[in-house]
Amino acid sequence: MVQGLILAIYDDEANLALLEEADLDAPTADLIAQSASIDILGRQGNLVPEEELEEGNLLTEVWFRIEAPDVDGNQVDGWASESRIRVREEAEDGTPIMGTVRRRLGSNADPLTSVFSEPNEKSEVVGQLEARTEVQIQDLATLEVWFLVSGEHEGQAVEGWAPSRFIQIFEDEVTGRVDRGNTGEFTTEFIEKMVNDRFFWPAVRSTAILMLIIIPTQFVLAIVMALVIQAQLRFNSFILYIFAIPLGVSDLAVGILWFAIFTQNGLLNSFLQTVGAIDTPSAWLTADSRNWILVAIWLAEVWRATSIVMVIVVSGLQAISNEVLEAAEVFGANLWQRLRYVILPLLRPSLQVALILRTILAFQVFAVVIALSGGDVVTVLANESYRQYFELRNTNVAAAYAFFILILSMFTSVIYLRAVRTQEEVAA
Amino acid sequence: MTTIDPNTPQVSPEVLAVHKKAIRQQKIRRGLTYALAGVICLWIIVPIFFIFSMAFTTQETVRSYPKGFLPFIPFSTETMTFFLNSDGIVPGLINSVLVAVITLVLSTLIAAPAGYAISRYIFPGRNFFRLSILAVRAFPIVVLSIPLAVMFIQLGFFDSIYSLSLMHTALALPTTVLVIGSVFASIPYELEEAAQVFGCTPFQAFRHVVLPLVLPGIAASGLFTFVMSWNEVFAASILTIQNRTLPAQVLFALSNSSEAYQFAGGFFLLIPSLLFMFFIRNYLFNMWGQVSK
Amino acid sequence: MAEIKVQNLVKTFGDFTAVDNVSLTIADQEFVVLLGPSGCGKTTLLRAIAGLGMPDSGVITIGGRDVTYLPPRERQISMVFQSYAIFPHMKVYDNIAFGLKMTGVDAKETDRRVREAAELLHIENLLDRFPNKMSGGQRQRVALARGIAMQAEVILMDEPLSNLDALLRLEMRAELKRLLSNIKATTIYVTHDQIEALSMGDRIAVMQSGVIQQCDVPTKVYDMPENFFVGSFIGNPPMNFFSSQIVKDNGSVAAQVGDFKFAPHPVMAKLLDKYEGDTMTMGIRAENMETLNQPADDALRVKVLVVEPLGAQNLLTIKIGDDTVKVSTHPDLAVRADDDVWLRFPSDKIRWIDRESQKVIYPS
Repeated sequence: MVQGLILAIYDDEANLALLEEADLDAPTADLIAQSASIDILGRQGNLVPEEELEEGNLLTEVWFRIEAPDVDGNQVDGWASESRIRVREEAEDGTPIMGTVRRRLGSNADPLTSVFSEPNEKSEVVGQLEARTEVQIQDLATLEVWFLVSGEHEGQAVEGWAPSRFIQIFEDEVTGRVDRGNTGEFTTEFIEKMVNDRFFWPAVRSTAILMLIIIPTQFVLAIVMALVIQAQLRFNSFILYIFAIPLGVSDLAVGILWFAIFTQNGLLNSFLQTVGAIDTPSAWLTADSRNWILVAIWLAEVWRATSIVMVIVVSGLQAISNEVLEAAEVFGANLWQRLRYVILPLLRPSLQVALILRTILAFQVFAVVIALSGGDVVTVLANESYRQYFELRNTNVAAAYAFFILILSMFTSVIYLRAVRTQEEVAA
Repeated sequence: MTTIDPNTPQVSPEVLAVHKKAIRQQKIRRGLTYALAGVICLWIIVPIFFIFSMAFTTQETVRSYPKGFLPFIPFSTETMTFFLNSDGIVPGLINSVLVAVITLVLSTLIAAPAGYAISRYIFPGRNFFRLSILAVRAFPIVVLSIPLAVMFIQLGFFDSIYSLSLMHTALALPTTVLVIGSVFASIPYELEEAAQVFGCTPFQAFRHVVLPLVLPGIAASGLFTFVMSWNEVFAASILTIQNRTLPAQVLFALSNSSEAYQFAGGFFLLIPSLLFMFFIRNYLFNMWGQVSK
Repeated sequence: MAEIKVQNLVKTFGDFTAVDNVSLTIADQEFVVLLGPSGCGKTTLLRAIAGLGMPDSGVITIGGRDVTYLPPRERQISMVFQSYAIFPHMKVYDNIAFGLKMTGVDAKETDRRVREAAELLHIENLLDRFPNKMSGGQRQRVALARGIAMQAEVILMDEPLSNLDALLRLEMRAELKRLLSNIKATTIYVTHDQIEALSMGDRIAVMQSGVIQQCDVPTKVYDMPENFFVGSFIGNPPMNFFSSQIVKDNGSVAAQVGDFKFAPHPVMAKLLDKYEGDTMTMGIRAENMETLNQPADDALRVKVLVVEPLGAQNLLTIKIGDDTVKVSTHPDLAVRADDDVWLRFPSDKIRWIDRESQKVIYPS
């Protein structure tokens, strides 16, 4: 729950920490925002743990531990980058065992290659090798490249080291951008993204319209169904079974059910054509018939979720004692007065619970919408949350949608409760 | 005012007329109620029957138009067979059943003691406990799913039927606890005490006296949990990729599939409801009556 | 004027006849108690009078007006229910005012009557409260206040005290009696508690199997039961019954129990003449037998089985033939179980029951 909120308003990749040295333990020099442009001032390899190598976007270089005679003829043992050694011989499993020192190109280049005590250019130089010297490769180490970068953050020039995995280098190898951050920050970015999404307002609108038409219909139908059940007809148990079936049907199945009815060669068109009401099948569920899609969703939801309201109303009715109703009758109340002054007031807590429950559940409708409209022509908030997460892989915006739904649910619940309380206060 | 002959008492004609009218009205009302019940039943059954007939017919019929009146559609298992042989359906079915069974077992194991405690013991914070259970019920699946997905990814627990079962258990628990609590509450505590007086340990009293009485109610609640888990789409779609449950698989394939696939899938998904609602219909009021208190 | 007249009322539920051809007239302002074991039809009869269950046949008039099939609200009655049937969502005030509001009594008059009724039942301080936190006794008072606020000429009460605990019931019983003597209404009161019936009713109608067995003033119902059932139902302990032979003893009628013979009351002797040689059931109340601890010619020797000291009296259990008989004695009479005592039956206290009809024989 809290994490959902955090996802919605906290960007844990907002900034990249630039370190004073190319070392994970080095202090942070500056922050730079995600996707800022940067200049590459230098690079250096650094040992990384095995498991981090698995992560994507890592720019790596390999260093070899070599043994070879140096310019002075001494046998040296140390590390050199793969950019300096050409592998000449490999073991059967691909492990390099022998190589030669590369020639440096260019006229003014240093012809010698340094060998370091550690796989790190900052470590002590243990010797210098001539080009083409044959070297025995003893060991190898994979390093992640770190970059010394400079850029601008909140108007300030910033500079520091960062691992390659956070940085995208352009082709010129001297400029790039911050690919992702590693330091979080509270942000309204995702909420803004949600609100500015082109599906946001249509989703809000459809959700509101659907609630406005679904819930009242459901309550009227549910009370009628409850009264039918309470009438204790001959096949009451069977009727109850039928009434209860939709209670256990998923919104996806219901969506498909009503899709089968409204689709071009579905039940509705077949029926209308067979009775001669239409000549050619009409398209109910296309982008041009938005309102019919709403009608289909409305019917599907009423079909599916009225049963639960009915069950709550019936248990509310069952809780009203028979003697209370008889007392109302004896004391002069006619049918309408009994309903108005006794039954409905006694049913109010049940209706209230049903109302809150239904509203909360109505915000979650989404598979019906996907089944009936493909999720584009008519969309609802829950569907947008699903789309952001599933199709656009945008977890934070999906969480923002989810939180928007939660806030709406709580808000309406409070309004219902408040409305009822006010009524009681007025009565007092 | 009517005078009455004391020897042969007769109801006055006016009152008799009132009575006859009342009886007539009652008959009409009853007839109307039957008609209403019939209409509502049709409203529920017709779509189900239609998708049933679509699921058990030839693919050609599914494509044909107009289809004519319902009962004349040729019966065939072709569509259903096609659906069941489609990609990911059988694994999805297995996953769905596994998730639902794990959810059922987990939530019953947790909810039974919790429900027993709520119904039997008055402990500090009991009402708060009840309320917080309901509060969880009120949190939308949507709100819970996404952070959980992120959490499961971080824990390396993502895309597994076990994590989905955990999620479904969390969703089912509030209702299960309250329902099982109400089932226990309907068994007087005196019964247990009597058993203890006659030499049972508290556990034996529970095992031999209470358990047989509550078993049907717990079974009903279990079936309800099963159906809930079987139906759940959102969390299933968010929390799984490779190991999709049946509804998640159907939803995923929905936009790229033929109508035959969709209709057969739609009917297949509502089979558990058709079966289980029959057994639990009499417990429904118990369940939701409790929840709405 | 609200005389209630029930004529030849029949009410069945499927195969079960709950009220079987009952006729009953209740005078204006009379207090009649319908008494009987559960399932005897007393509540069904009351509900038929209230209009809560329409009879199969028969006629009910209230104040001369035929109401047989009228709905309750057109009968101008008021009722107190067994479970009180207080509206839980209304304050006490609105509960009491409900009937007045429904029948269109104006607000000022309603207020006056509600306060009056509340005052009568000492619940003025509860008027502003909701009933859900009230005790059973308080609810009972609210239900009664609602019942009398209507100022209907007929008040029907369906076991109004049965849900109260024993002590409260005692207190409310007295209060109810006082209350009902103040308001001038015809009252029908259903109960299965004979003490309530005996202490409150002007008349008691004892019902069994849908039939009124006897309807009379309490002392008569107690002392002169119409039949075997009434005798065995009323009183604690109920009337004793045991068999005796009617024989001729020196030319006059005598009853013989075992070897013991005694003469019936002279008025009865003539009526018993025709039963000579037959077995009759004799009925006598526990407190009407004289107990002696020494033999007497006109007393029957019996063995005491159990002695129950009840404070004001001792209750002996004895056997006469195969019949168990309870005898109440003065505590000063020292008897223990297994002792022999001698019983004397005052002839004017003996009730003679025809075995066939189960009816008590009285001189006409």
